[in-house]
Amino acid sequence: MRIFKRRPRIPKELLNRTPPTEELIRGIALETSFDGRTVLKGVDLSVLQGEVFVILGPSGCGKTTLLRHLSGMLPPTMGIVQLFGRDLYTLKGKELAEMRGRMGFSFQGGALLNSMSVLENVSLPLHESSRLAPARIERIAKLKLDMVGLLHAAQLSPSSLSGGMKKRAAIARAMALDPELIFFDEPSAGLDPITAVEVDNLILKLNKVFGITMVVVTHDIPSAFMIADRMIMLSEGRILARGTPDEIRENKDSKVQDFIHRALPAEEQRSGGLARFLKT
Amino acid sequence: MEALSPDLQRLLQQASIEDRHAVLDLSAVEAFDSAGMAFLIEALQEAKAQEIDLRLVGVRPSVSDFFSLVGIERLLVPDKTAPKRNFVERLGDKAIPVIERVGAGKDLLLEAAQTLVDSSTGGRRSGKGRFFLELEHTGIGAIGIVGLIGFLLGLILAMQAWVQLKVFGADKYVADMVAVSITREIGPLMTAILVAARSGSSIAAQLGTMVINEEVDALRQMGINPVRYLVVPKVGALALATPCLAILFSTIAIFGGLLFGVFVVDLGWQVYIEATSDALQAGDILGSLLKSTVFGSLVAFVACSLGLNVKGGPVGVGKATTGAVVASIFLIIVFDAVFVLLLRVGA
Repeated sequence: MRIFKRRPRIPKELLNRTPPTEELIRGIALETSFDGRTVLKGVDLSVLQGEVFVILGPSGCGKTTLLRHLSGMLPPTMGIVQLFGRDLYTLKGKELAEMRGRMGFSFQGGALLNSMSVLENVSLPLHESSRLAPARIERIAKLKLDMVGLLHAAQLSPSSLSGGMKKRAAIARAMALDPELIFFDEPSAGLDPITAVEVDNLILKLNKVFGITMVVVTHDIPSAFMIADRMIMLSEGRILARGTPDEIRENKDSKVQDFIHRALPAEEQRSGGLARFLKT
Repeated sequence: MEALSPDLQRLLQQASIEDRHAVLDLSAVEAFDSAGMAFLIEALQEAKAQEIDLRLVGVRPSVSDFFSLVGIERLLVPDKTAPKRNFVERLGDKAIPVIERVGAGKDLLLEAAQTLVDSSTGGRRSGKGRFFLELEHTGIGAIGIVGLIGFLLGLILAMQAWVQLKVFGADKYVADMVAVSITREIGPLMTAILVAARSGSSIAAQLGTMVINEEVDALRQMGINPVRYLVVPKVGALALATPCLAILFSTIAIFGGLLFGVFVVDLGWQVYIEATSDALQAGDILGSLLKSTVFGSLVAFVACSLGLNVKGGPVGVGKATTGAVVASIFLIIVFDAVFVLLLRVGA
């Protein structure tokens, strides 16, 4: 019955709150290496309650690894992750399970269980961590599916969904336990621009209506600037820039500007270096 | 560098004697394909190695366009060869993955035991459903093949036994021979091997694919323990299905032997059935059940452990699947030997 013990969620507009400043996630000096290759080189960040926080960066810059650290899937080699004021990687058993119940995760490929229907996928977390009657669970799951516009696909198998539908189904599943926080791994990757915008809108809508804190990892620049309240830009395992989208746009760092304007860095615009070998 | 043409080698040789300068005239070359580009890079590399200043003339725009796609400086760095590893290091390279796999299996065993003991892990309402689903896959689905193989092996065994026994005029012992060898040894063993090939491979492939698709991560993220959710029902189902299948196998095999005994050896129904029931002791059947339960759980554990530890994409799934079948069959034989030692030789 954990679902009902939690405080009911009231739309932000109704509460007329001032912008929240409470820190939900804090990452301190995160460092990670795999097989001697350093992926993150000292990352500090904090995510505030109720905001859409975007981690932007090129492929292979360590952003998915960072997301896995923040969501409790992979402990960093060094550093501390605090979630809701608790040190995430010291939690065990019940406490960890409870913490997991407060967050959802939308995987890049959806990660829906292929052996069950979309509806069963969304119901699964409810079946596993609540004692609600099956009929009520189904009603909740259908509610979540309707929220992401997938009610018509409830009985389909995940393998018959399109890329955009899979992502939306994954979001519905992440929403199942009324989380306070949702992590998104590349929500617009592999989607056409129109569908990507739809997914972005959905993230914003859920953030506005339910006040859910969103942590989004993406390499999609337009999408990042559209949804972010605050963002960090990651490059080669370090934070290159941080701030609101406007502050990032104003950032003078040439690497930041190159990435935003999708230009190749100066050193990459090479002529091939053949000139050195030509006889003049 | 054997790939260099003799002409070029001569050019470089000459240069190395003279003033360490050489010029490669490319003006007659109209077009380069990839092999030509590679040749050019090899030439420059070789010249660099011999500290010769090799310069190019008559390079066409198409060639310099091509080199705008690559960084020639990076390509000229000589290939690194991995340092040769000595015997002990190579032995370690082979042994460490095996030890890691055994370690992973042990961890899984402990975790599964823990989840069974720990009742606080919450809603296991759907656990029963998954257990019966697995039972249907691994047990009911295997009835056909287990029955068929059992019948044929019973028949074959009766034939082989008869050929030997009739020499001594001991035809009527065909029934005893078939009953005892099937129930004690061949029934549990063949069933376990069939289960390993049929269900072990499928479990490893299924779990491996789930790992690759991040489905296992998703379960964990939803607060669902993948060991409890995936492993426990599978192990439970195989631990129950395998002894049932072994009994089925043995029964049908004895029936196969009976058909041969009655219609070829001409023993008569009643004689054969009486001989069979005299030959079999309760201990044989109990031992067979016990063995099969252990074999079944073993197959499930090995397959789950390898499946959940898949790394490296589809190739990893393939390796895990093969590994699951090979390792389970090997372990089945080892455990079988231990059983025989404890139950027969020791007693």
